[in-house]
This record gives sequence, C-alpha cells and structure tokens, in this order.
Amino acid sequence: MGSSIMNIGVRALAANQGALQTISHNIANVNTPGYSRQSAVLQDVEGQYSGSGYFGKGVEILTVERIYSEFLTRQSAASKSVAAADTARFDTLRRLEEIFPGGPDALGASVSNMLNAFSDIVSAPTDLTARSVVLARADEMAANFRAAAGQLNDLKLGITSQLENSVAAVNSLAGQIAKANEEIARAMGGGHEPNDLLDQRDELISQLNRYVRTSTIAADDGSVGIFVASSHPLVLGTTVSPLSIVKDDFNDSAKSQLAITVAGNTHVINESLLGGGEIAGLLRVQNTDLVDAANLLGRMGLAIATRMNEQQMLGVDLNGNPGAPLFSFNAMPDGLPADTNTGNATLSLAIQSSPTSGTDAFVASDYQLAFSSGSTGTLTRLSDGSSTAFDFGITNPLQIDGVEISISAGAAAAGDRFVLKPFSAVASDLSTAFSSPRGLAMASPIAATAGTTNTGTLALEQLDTLSVPPPPAVTLNFTGPGSYTRSDTGATVYTYTPGQPILYSPALPPNGWSLTLKGTAQAGDSFVVDANPYPMINADNARTMLDLRDALLFDGGPLTDGYASLMAELGIRVQSAESAATVSRHIADNIEQDRSSISGVNLDEEAARMLQYQQAYQASGKMLQVAQNIFDSLLQSLGR
Amino acid sequence: MRVGTANSYDSTISNLNTRQGDLVDLQEKLSAGKRVVRASDDPTGAAQAERAMTRTDRIEVEQRALNLQRNAMAAAEATLGDANSVLQTLRDLVIAAGDGIYNPVNRSSIASQMRGLRDQLFALSNRLDTNGVPLFGGLASALEPFTDLVAGVSFNGLSGQRAASTVAIPSVLDGQAIWMNVPSGNGVFNIALGGANGGRLWTDTGQVLSPTALTGNDYTLSFSVNAATGATTYDIVNASTATTVAAGQAYVDGQDIAFDGLSFTAHGAPADGDTLQLTASTRTDLFAVVDAAIAGVDGAGNDAALSQAIALALTEIDAGMDRLQSARGFAGDLLNRADNIDNRQEAKVLQLAADRSRAEDMDMVQGISDFQNQQTGYDAALRTYAQVQRLSLFNYLG
Repeated sequence: MGSSIMNIGVRALAANQGALQTISHNIANVNTPGYSRQSAVLQDVEGQYSGSGYFGKGVEILTVERIYSEFLTRQSAASKSVAAADTARFDTLRRLEEIFPGGPDALGASVSNMLNAFSDIVSAPTDLTARSVVLARADEMAANFRAAAGQLNDLKLGITSQLENSVAAVNSLAGQIAKANEEIARAMGGGHEPNDLLDQRDELISQLNRYVRTSTIAADDGSVGIFVASSHPLVLGTTVSPLSIVKDDFNDSAKSQLAITVAGNTHVINESLLGGGEIAGLLRVQNTDLVDAANLLGRMGLAIATRMNEQQMLGVDLNGNPGAPLFSFNAMPDGLPADTNTGNATLSLAIQSSPTSGTDAFVASDYQLAFSSGSTGTLTRLSDGSSTAFDFGITNPLQIDGVEISISAGAAAAGDRFVLKPFSAVASDLSTAFSSPRGLAMASPIAATAGTTNTGTLALEQLDTLSVPPPPAVTLNFTGPGSYTRSDTGATVYTYTPGQPILYSPALPPNGWSLTLKGTAQAGDSFVVDANPYPMINADNARTMLDLRDALLFDGGPLTDGYASLMAELGIRVQSAESAATVSRHIADNIEQDRSSISGVNLDEEAARMLQYQQAYQASGKMLQVAQNIFDSLLQSLGR
Repeated sequence: MRVGTANSYDSTISNLNTRQGDLVDLQEKLSAGKRVVRASDDPTGAAQAERAMTRTDRIEVEQRALNLQRNAMAAAEATLGDANSVLQTLRDLVIAAGDGIYNPVNRSSIASQMRGLRDQLFALSNRLDTNGVPLFGGLASALEPFTDLVAGVSFNGLSGQRAASTVAIPSVLDGQAIWMNVPSGNGVFNIALGGANGGRLWTDTGQVLSPTALTGNDYTLSFSVNAATGATTYDIVNASTATTVAAGQAYVDGQDIAFDGLSFTAHGAPADGDTLQLTASTRTDLFAVVDAAIAGVDGAGNDAALSQAIALALTEIDAGMDRLQSARGFAGDLLNRADNIDNRQEAKVLQLAADRSRAEDMDMVQGISDFQNQQTGYDAALRTYAQVQRLSLFNYLG
C-alpha cells in the first residue's frame, strides 16, 4: 500500500513539475514574437483492479499542446500583409508628394513667375534687364522641372532597390521555411507535435507575408506548401522557387514586375493578383503612381515649352531676326516594342502640328498600340483604358490627344505591341536654348495702322501673329458702324462686332493674324494690317506671351493652374493611400489582438497557474512524507 | 476576453505612437498657421490656395505695369499741357505781331522768338517715358516718332490708338492724331491771297452758313477796279467745274461775301486783277501751322499778306490747341481709368487673400482647442498605461 502511495506521489511530483516547466517556458517566452502558449495535458493513470474495486494509480502528462487558432494565425498574417502593402505605398507616396510642394518656391510659382516677367518687357521693350530677368526665370523654371524629374527618378531607383531587397528577404525566408518543413516532418515522426518548431514556421510565414501575401496548404507529413498569387508555388515541401524582379516585356525602365522561377522556368506574376505585401505596394507605386506623376510633370513641361517656343518663333528679336526656340528638350521617344514582336517596325512620335498645335489636347498618359495586321489594330490610352481602332493605311500619321504616331522604319506584323511614352523624356532634359537677352523675340512682325482720317472711336485691342512670314497688307474699310470690306476680298461685306477677333483667314491651320478692335466705326474709317516697320520698341509678342497664362492647356484648365491640379491630383492619391493604410493597420491590429487573446501568454494567468501547480507539487511531496510515515510506523511496530 | 501580455504592451505602444504622431502633426500645423501643410491634408484646399497665390502674383505684376502705364500717361498729359502753353504763347506772339506799330525788323525778332517756341514744341512731341518709349508713338513707331526735315515734320509711326483693357491702360498716345492732324483754314475751306496781288486785300478765315449747300469745290474770286469810276467789282468762278457763280458783284470793304453756303469778310482795297483762292480744307500738322505763321510774320510789313497770315495762323493754332486739349482729356480719362483699375485690383487681392486663407489657414481657436484635447488625451493615455502596467500578480507573490 505504502509503495503505491509512494509511486503516486513520485508520478504527481513529476507531472506537476512538468506542468511548472511548461509554465516557466511560457513565462520565458512572453515576449517572443509568434510564440503560442503551451500547456501540459494531464491525465489520470488507469486504476488497478482489486477486490475492493479500482484503485487510481496517479497522474501522468499526456503531451504538451500549443494553444492556437489556425484560422486566426492565417488571418493575422494575411491582414498584416495587406497593411504592409498599404503602408509601403503610403510611405512612398508621401515622399512623392514632397517632390511637388505648393507655395512661392515651388515649380508652379516658377511657371507663373516666368510668364509674369514678360510684363516688364511689355513696359520697357528695349530694357535688357527685363529681358535678362525673363531668361533667368525661364532657366529657373527649366531647372525646377529637371529637379522634379531627377527626384522622381531617385524615388524610382529607391523603390527598385527596395524591391530587390524585399525579394532577397522573401527568398531567404522561403529557404528557412523549407528547412523548417524538413525538421517538422522529421519531428512529427515521434508522435508529438514539435510546438516550438511549428511556432517558428508560423512566424516565418507571418514575416514572409509582410513582403508578399501567400496562401498555405498543409501536407500530411506536417510540412506546408506556400503559394504566391494563389497559384505560384514558392515553397513545396523542401523545394524553393525563388522570386526575382524583372522588366516588363516592353523593357520599360520605369516599371518592374515580380517573377518566379519554377523548375528553371521564369513566369511573370500578374501584379493585380499579388493581393498584399510590401512588394505589391511598391510595385503599384512604381508602375502606376510614379508613372502617372512623371506623365503629369512631363506633359506640363512639354506643353509649356512647346507653346512658348511656338510663340517665340512668331516674333522678331532685338537683332531683327525671327525668334529661335527658347527651350530645348528631348524629342518624344520612339515607341517601345514588345519582346515578342515579330515585325521590325519603328514607331515615331511627334507633337501634332496640324491643323492646330496638339499642346492643348495632351492627356497625361502612356499608350499601348496592338497590331492585328500589318497596319491595323487598336490603340489604348493606358490612363483610362479607352481604346480606338486604327488603320495606318487610312490615317498616317495617327493622331491621338495631340500626339502623332507614324511608322518611321520597318514594317509591323500582326500581334506586335508597342508602348508609347510621349511625356517620359521631356522634364529631365528641359533647358533654355540661348542665354542672350537680345534673342528673345518680343516684337511682332505685324502691325496695325488706323486711317489718319478715321472719325470713329476704333482702337486696337489686340493683334496676334498666327504665322510667319506675315501675309500681304490687308486694309479693312468700314462702310458703317457694323460692317466693313477687306482689300483682299473685294466687295464682300463683313460684320464688325467690337471686341470680336477678325481673322486673316478662318481656315485651319490658323495663319496670318488675328485683329481685335474696340469702339465704334464710322463709314470711311479704315485699318491696315501689314508688316511691322518698327520692330525695335515693339513688345506685342511679349503681350501675347502674357496671354499664354490663360491658354487652356491641361484638360481645359488655364496654363498657370496646371500645377495646382497636378498637386491636387497627387494629394488625393496620398490622402486615399493614407486612409487605406490606417484602415488596414487597424484591421491587422485587431486580428492580431484576437490571435493573441488565444495564443498569447498572460503573465497573471501564468502566475496563478504556477501557484496552482506549486501547491499540487507541495501536496505530492507531502504524500511522499505520508508514505514514509506509514512505512516508519510499520517498521516500528515490527521492531517492538 | 483573455489578454496577451505582450500584445497588450504592443497595442498600447502603438496607440501612444498614434496619439503622439497626431499631436506632432497638429503642432506642425499650428506653428505654420496652416491647416494644409501638404497637398494630401486637403487636396482641394491646397489647389485653391495655389491658384489664389498664382492670381495674386499676377495682379502684383499687373499693378506694377499699371503704375508704369500711369506714369507714362501722366507724363503724356503733362507734356500736352506744356505744349498747350507753348501754343498759347505762340498765339499771343502772333497777335502781337499784327500790331501796326511794329516794323519788319521788330517782326523778325518776334519770328525768331516764335522759332524758339516751335523748337520747344517739337521737343515735346518726341518726349519719352521713363523706359525710353515715345509718349506719342501711336500703334508702333521708331525711337524718335517725329523727325524735322526740310520738307516739314514727318511722323515715323503707325497711327492709331491702343485700347485700355480691364487691367491695363495704354501708355502711348496716337501722335499722328494729336500733332499731325490739324485742319487747314477754318476746317472746311481755306482762303489764300493770289500770289500776284498788288492791292491791299485781306480776308478773315470765313465760316460755313449752310452745311448742306457746300460743294467742296475750289473757287477763284477775281477783283476788277473800274479805272474810270474807281468802283470795285468781283467775279466768283467755281474753279473745279469752270462755271461762273456770280459776276460783277460790287465790293464793299468789310462786307461779307457769301455764296454756296459759305461766307467770309474781305477787307481793304484790292487792286485791279487781284484774286482770292478758296480751296477745300486739307490736313496739315501743327508744326507746319507754326512754320506758316513764322513765315507770315518774319520781316513782314504792315500789308494785306500779314493780316491774311495772322488770321489764318490764329484759326489754325486754335484748331491745333483743340486737338491737344481733347488728347489731354483722353489722357485724363485713361488716368481716371487707371485709378479705377487700381481700386478694383486691390479689392481683388484682398478677396484672393481671403480665399487663400479660407482654403489653407488654420482656424487658430479651433486648432488650439483641438490641441488641448489631444494633449489631454495623450496625457491620460500615458497615465493609465503606467498604472495598468504596474498591476501584476507577481507583485503579490513571495
């Protein structure tokens, strides 16, 4: 009897000690990431039959189990993955936003400062200082464009290297998971779950999800298969298929794609299927947000520089020569051919010049051209996905949004694809083309003269040159307050409306001049438009430059408001990225809290359990003492 | 609910971080005085503020240009005033030269005085504004719009006047209309003495009696003196149509001669064969008027030609002064307009400043109150954190 008590006591001591050991393991790992609390599962030992019934034989530890919810663990990893994607995008967009600040020192102000500077030339046409100021402002604006383009490029390079690092981390984590798979499979053979190894693997998967969202499928041997974008096996058992960052099939330097190499074959993973993870967030920023920002910037630079060059070339400089372009910049780059193209066509892009300048129709977007035959196919605007059919056989060059597309060499084959990036190269290379203030063509080659015997109150409001060289002289002879004839069209009578422009030729492209008169005409009044004999102290072209401030360029908005809308557009993106990041972080935090409420260690609980098992241990010790006393009593009675 | 100890620390730390971040963010906005520090704080507000800034800059530039335009126009107005007093002095001299007590030598000296004034007048016409642009250049001109040649003064520019816009006034006046556009004679016709006149016949500059009866033709009046009776008669011939309008009309000194809607007064005693030439008025320039007056006065005796020249000069100088006065009025109008534009632009600047402020400035009262709230919240979070974390069962063991 006594030995039985002794046995039960020893067993109880061992079991309670085991339980205490588990508790101390829990307490020790209270701050270990990914640790799931463990508990010793106690079980009573089957009793022994005797004539008086079954006598219990004590307690034993069945196993040490880890307390966790597979569902919550998976959810926690997935939500952290989404949060990591949103946070990565928000952090990067925040930096993108810093490139386009508002206020008096920013790019937008430098554009309007430059145009405003022409006002001083209007006031003092021969003042070289006013001209130098314009040139300096133009230079400053160009420098601001270059700086913004440079910062965009730096940001892009930064993202690319961050992507490379993330992919390296993913590959390393995948290797560790494969190793854990191997160890777990081996350990499972022993019949008990290797709790700590499983925790470690779950933690590795959770870390992996921060970079790229994965799905897991458990195998019978205890290993798990890890899949990226639902279907690409990153880890299968102990085999790892490494990820890498590759260029897209147009070798577009502005974009990156994620690829996986399975058994020697590299597949590009569709960005939209990634679902989460830092890599997904960064790819989205680089392939969408940065590309859009660069297009917005490039469009602004190209439209402003082109418009001003056009205007400058309509004027006469202080040396009496026609104006030379004020800005120089890279031409639109050729279309990027896909790797899979079988034809050898080269697609050239240019700014539409006829019937009107394309600058006001620019849309900040890239385009994709897909040939379905050697000359036909569809042209897709990538910003909104709208597509149109084209046929080079009918229209050559193609015109879209102020851009002209032509096949400049070779021939296209069916199935060929091209990406067109008309605005990608401008801003990084925008600069002023000359530095002599005399070179600014501020005089108009055309001038108007009122008849010396005019009796009405006709006054000149505006005379714009629309083409050079100027057309032959035209005399407007007023036949009454509301009508006139022109010397070049004989007896045809036109209606005169004060303040309405009178065009040299209403046909497109605009040519000659546009004259706006104010006041009332009397019969016999006349106005002559002819070449300007006095270009020296004339600044009519500077006046027209000032009018460019109101030119409707950017989606119908005035030129000087272009920057404000660019800023706002990026601001809206940052704002929505911020709220997405906040929301997904809260969700991730909440799910992590739920997971932790099941698996996490609570020190108060452990303290209470510790007391519980400590008391049981002490009681078991007492049992041994009782057994000893019983045995001693027996020995004493025998010895008497 | 069970609470994971490590997680409770994590989430408290994360909450504290968020609160601290909000506090720092608000503090940044408060210290900048702006509700919108980055475009993402309020994209619409940021764009509005940016647009308001662009517009304000533009008005600043327009105002600077307007000030220059106003200065130029004020200079033009003053120049026209100067020219008017020069012409007034000239007019006084012309009247003085008609006084019978002067002899040809006296009149030569008056003429040289007049030449000096004429040079002043010419200098005024070529005056420049502070930026070196001629005040009277018209729509376009050479650096010196008026050149004084032997043949007379010519205008090297394009006639015409630029209109004022809503934000600017022209800084240049039409020199052609002001200086080069004086009607000869009385504005309708011009009376000249025949070159071979031997008698003492002169006329005033005449007037229009009936505008509808005017023909616009040239006329010749020929006087004949009857040697026997001494009676003077005249014939009127329409030189353009070669028809006789009236013949053998008796001439009375100081009486009006009227025909075809016009009339003038002839004075003195014409000699036999003296003539008067009536021609339609043409456009001449102010300098030619003054030149003619000087030529008429220079070394002239007390004869009919002097009277005729003085009568013509006075009429034409008056017409020229009228031109200057009306241009001066126009300049004054423009200056007035400049003031109006100025007021309007100032009001616009204020409006834009208010717009900008509404779009991006911090409501300080609201901001500080928010800040206090957040500060209290952060303080409470710190305190409760410290207290809750002090609670542990282990404190009661052993």
